[in-house]
Amino acid sequence: MTDWAIISLGNRYRGDDGVGPFVLQRLRDRFGNSVDCIENSGDMTRLLEDWRDRHVCLVDAVSAEEREAGDIVLLDGLAEPMPPSLCGTSSHGFSLAEALELGRLFDSLPRRLAIYAICGENFANSAALSPAVEAAAVNVEKEILHLLTEQTGGPRCTNSP
Amino acid sequence: MTKSKTIKVDYLARVEGEGALYIRYDDGGVHDVKLKIFEPPRFFEGFMRGRDYLEAPDITARICGICPVAYQMSSLHAMEDALGLTPTPELHALRRLIYCGEWIESHTLHIYMLHAPDFLGYPSAVAMAKDHPQIVQDGLQIKKAGNAIVNLLGGREVHPINVRVGGFYRVPTATELEPLREQLLKARDMAAATVRWAASLPFPDFERSVENQYEFVALSNEREYPMSCGRIASTRGLDIPVQEYDTHFREEHVEYSNALHSVLIERGAYFVGPMARYNLNYDRLSPLVRQTAEDIGFPPFCVNPFKSIVVRSLEVLYAFDEALRIIDNYRQPDTPYLVTEPRPSTGCAATEAPRGILYHRYSMDEEGKITDAKIVAPTSQNQKTIEDDLRLMLPKFLHLPEDKLQAQCEQAIRNYDPCISCSTHFLQLHMERRAREGQ
Repeated sequence: MTDWAIISLGNRYRGDDGVGPFVLQRLRDRFGNSVDCIENSGDMTRLLEDWRDRHVCLVDAVSAEEREAGDIVLLDGLAEPMPPSLCGTSSHGFSLAEALELGRLFDSLPRRLAIYAICGENFANSAALSPAVEAAAVNVEKEILHLLTEQTGGPRCTNSP
Repeated sequence: MTKSKTIKVDYLARVEGEGALYIRYDDGGVHDVKLKIFEPPRFFEGFMRGRDYLEAPDITARICGICPVAYQMSSLHAMEDALGLTPTPELHALRRLIYCGEWIESHTLHIYMLHAPDFLGYPSAVAMAKDHPQIVQDGLQIKKAGNAIVNLLGGREVHPINVRVGGFYRVPTATELEPLREQLLKARDMAAATVRWAASLPFPDFERSVENQYEFVALSNEREYPMSCGRIASTRGLDIPVQEYDTHFREEHVEYSNALHSVLIERGAYFVGPMARYNLNYDRLSPLVRQTAEDIGFPPFCVNPFKSIVVRSLEVLYAFDEALRIIDNYRQPDTPYLVTEPRPSTGCAATEAPRGILYHRYSMDEEGKITDAKIVAPTSQNQKTIEDDLRLMLPKFLHLPEDKLQAQCEQAIRNYDPCISCSTHFLQLHMERRAREGQ
């Protein structure tokens, strides 16, 4: 288990809901085993184990009518309240906000939680990422790469010589 | 003149998916109940066409983040049916073991996080956890044991990647299963305690009248409590091979919902899920589970849907007991999977997802490209029964204050642990009360 983890929420086959797994896959290719990359497709209770006492970057898609597709909202998950659009996403009836509340109750919180919320527009099954969302995903990937490079020294070569 | 009253709830919590429920009623009775599902349905069936038959388990597993194993099992059994392949007993046991893991995960999530707050009068699991932290922590511990099974057999906890048509990519050694055994033993004790706790909850008194009895439908076979094989049986005499599913069941489009409602031809609504499995297969539960049911005075045939939480807890206990039996009798398969060769064919299968029968049917061409796919999820099979329950139970609860009445309706829907994302996302509830004219 690594100190830092990247967690995605969402379903890769449901249009823009797949932006979290999309970013995760690209970062997994960069970091190899040096940072844990965890794909969560809806069971928020798993977050309590996955993020406990770790530094976490969490990527999720949101549906926000007042914003444009591809807008990126960066939140400090431990300090800022969850906006409603992050409270009801792909959670099987149990939301990210509730996972944070339970984490507080049970002392199962991350040490740091950077939430990258990317606004989507098309959440239909089997649809591809919207162009604006895919462009935003690449920017989020760069931001996380930059942050983790600062904090951990960046991706390590995992190939044997 | 008309004195109308409207109860409107925009968000029904603790149910997965997006849709709405509309109920129109007055003092004379319930006139309209519509479970609406908005999400464009059936994309996955179209998405599968042109894909390789070996991809079906991994793609369909993405339909649901809670029951991916069920989708994998139904799809691979359907492909094997098409190819005339029968898995070896050792592979069958391993598939059963991973299914035990998913039943534990899914049922425990529903029992503790989604349904229990209804019985204890809390709006959410978080609110319940503030007063009853141990209950919720117990639930999380039990669920963790289920995660461990899926992780070991599936290669990871979410969307297992080790399952394939013909078997597994890699099978565990007996030594690898051994550490799991200790964890399951402890969790089985906790599951037994959960049964006793669940049975002590206050249950609304609701049973259907003789003329409105449920028709429970589940897989059934002589050898074992059903998970991944068996005939389709019902409490009204249905007893058919899965291959006759399309002859006896039909999907109907209803104007107000994108999801298709599944009905038994010429009989209508039916009931799938834990209660159906339990009622049709009680004698195939393990002695420990039957004894536990007896100890708490729980009957072998249950017709109060609010008591489905007890049935789920008994199934969790069974899943631990069965998982331990499989581990104790484990013989590593000679080969992790049986080799398959595609051919033009059609095959189907039904397995018991946590929420009930999950039917898959596929056709493939000579290269193994999928040419047709049909997937019928448990929730779409239960939709009509959920509507009927609300129609029938509401008159009994009309004396309740509106907030309590609304809560009762929501709880009644959660009896079925509906996964609307599977059947097609978010449930909104709209209740409209109209007093009769002249009142």
